[in-house]
Amino acid sequence: MITKLVSKNFEIKDSFKIDVALENGRYSCLDALFKKKPQEIIDIVAESGLRGKGGGGALAGGKWQLASDHKGIKYLVVNADESEPGTFKDRRILSLDPHLLIEGIIATCYAIGSHNSYIYVRGEYEEFSDVLQDAIDEAYEKKYLGNGAKYPMEVVVHRGAGAYICGEKSALLESLEGNRGHPRLKPHKPSPEFYFGEPTLVNNVETIASVPYIVENGSDAYRQYGTEKSPGTLLFAISGNVNRPGVYEVAFGTPMLDYINELGGGVKNGKKLKAVIPGGASTPVLPASIIKDVKLDYENLKDMGSALGTGGMIVMDEDVSMVKALKNLLRFYHHESCGQCTPCREGTAWSDKILDKFISKEATKKDLEILRSVSQSMNGKTICVFAPAASGVIDGFLEHFEHEFLECIR
Amino acid sequence: MNFLFSEENKLKIQKLAKSYPEKKSLILPLLWLAQKQESYISEGAMRSISNITDMPYMHIYSVATFYTMFRLEKPKKRTIEVCRTLSCELNGSEDIKAYLDSNYSDEYEIIEVECMGACSGAPMCTIDGKYMENITKEDLKEVLK
Repeated sequence: MITKLVSKNFEIKDSFKIDVALENGRYSCLDALFKKKPQEIIDIVAESGLRGKGGGGALAGGKWQLASDHKGIKYLVVNADESEPGTFKDRRILSLDPHLLIEGIIATCYAIGSHNSYIYVRGEYEEFSDVLQDAIDEAYEKKYLGNGAKYPMEVVVHRGAGAYICGEKSALLESLEGNRGHPRLKPHKPSPEFYFGEPTLVNNVETIASVPYIVENGSDAYRQYGTEKSPGTLLFAISGNVNRPGVYEVAFGTPMLDYINELGGGVKNGKKLKAVIPGGASTPVLPASIIKDVKLDYENLKDMGSALGTGGMIVMDEDVSMVKALKNLLRFYHHESCGQCTPCREGTAWSDKILDKFISKEATKKDLEILRSVSQSMNGKTICVFAPAASGVIDGFLEHFEHEFLECIR
Repeated sequence: MNFLFSEENKLKIQKLAKSYPEKKSLILPLLWLAQKQESYISEGAMRSISNITDMPYMHIYSVATFYTMFRLEKPKKRTIEVCRTLSCELNGSEDIKAYLDSNYSDEYEIIEVECMGACSGAPMCTIDGKYMENITKEDLKEVLK
């Protein structure tokens, strides 16, 4: 079931060092890369159907084209602000195969015509960003980067400082510019992002790390994995009440239950499965009763009323209180709201407080109504998708586990 | 109140300045350097960063207060951060937090934090910023003795 396109070198000892990386195929896509014109590379990536692997799943080719179409100075910013609860895949790339990421950055910059890139790493990942920085230094020494490189370019690691919202691409750029991490209004038509007014492509670590395979092997090779609309693989991850939590790369379209049972080792302590949050905290929860035929791809999870998100599954066993689980998540949203939009700042705080009443079994029927109405007030009324995500989380728990909330009403 | 970046950090700042198209981008890296140098970010440090980046002091202050990892007061103790988000809670983070509170709160400031991206190693904590995963009370007893 495991299909290693991105994680191929993860288990090789010292794979983060450039000598070991070179022995194991790193930087080998550059031969194929420089034989082609930048536009041809964009076309290959577009044909491969590569989708953004940070949670949104936007087609990479389209975003690359938007950045490429702008002439003049432009930037590539790699989003390594991995903070979605249940998600811990990008740190594997940063610490186990940073040269794969650097190789992908070179290919991407060549394709869109950028000579400057930043990797925005969440502040907590200091150990991993240090490994990455060492790898970048090695790449400069070996002239894969810098002025003496075949394609001259700079890569700078920029550390965040503890703000979930900076994983939102426009908040990330605000943060990179030296501001508070407040998301920007979305453009009314397709447009690149902007860093100090210059066009900028923002892609997730794993998206960029998927590029070398595609450049080297072509779009058809990538498309032999996954489904028509969700081609390729993802570093899916699993945590919670399972026997073997971890990161396992599989093709899109893999049955969720097979992943949980075969790779995750099934539910811990022989207990029954109760629910799964399929792709990081922000994707609506799915009860065990409906996941029998769920497949791990964007389309199927959307049809099921949830989302693939980051592919980080959180598994909950039969003993987990869904009231307590929702309280945990709403505390997270309350803590992480950037405070820019009123419906979000107030709504996440209010819903978190209401959950306290359910936890202490002092809630009333009115509280349940208020919770639903607060959820409504957060959906579609804010600058970014943080509040709608919190709203979806509430609605998911209430849709599938309302009886547990009713039991807490005095 | 007075704050001066160390000579070593001044060299780092010169190098960093070449990495960005505008000085404003130096704000986060400089806040980090100041915090590393002094263990927290003082008003003097923020005024110094204001001068270097040519941004109003109040902007530096507003940025420094936005990010949870920046500390505006000098820490009195060493720090343990315990992740409390769902995968850690499902794997016993509340017990770990209670254990730390009752045994180590004199020497350590024990803080609950949100998801640290270590869910496969739940429960987890950091001790002075260093990750410890799959922790048990026994592990903590060993490491913190």
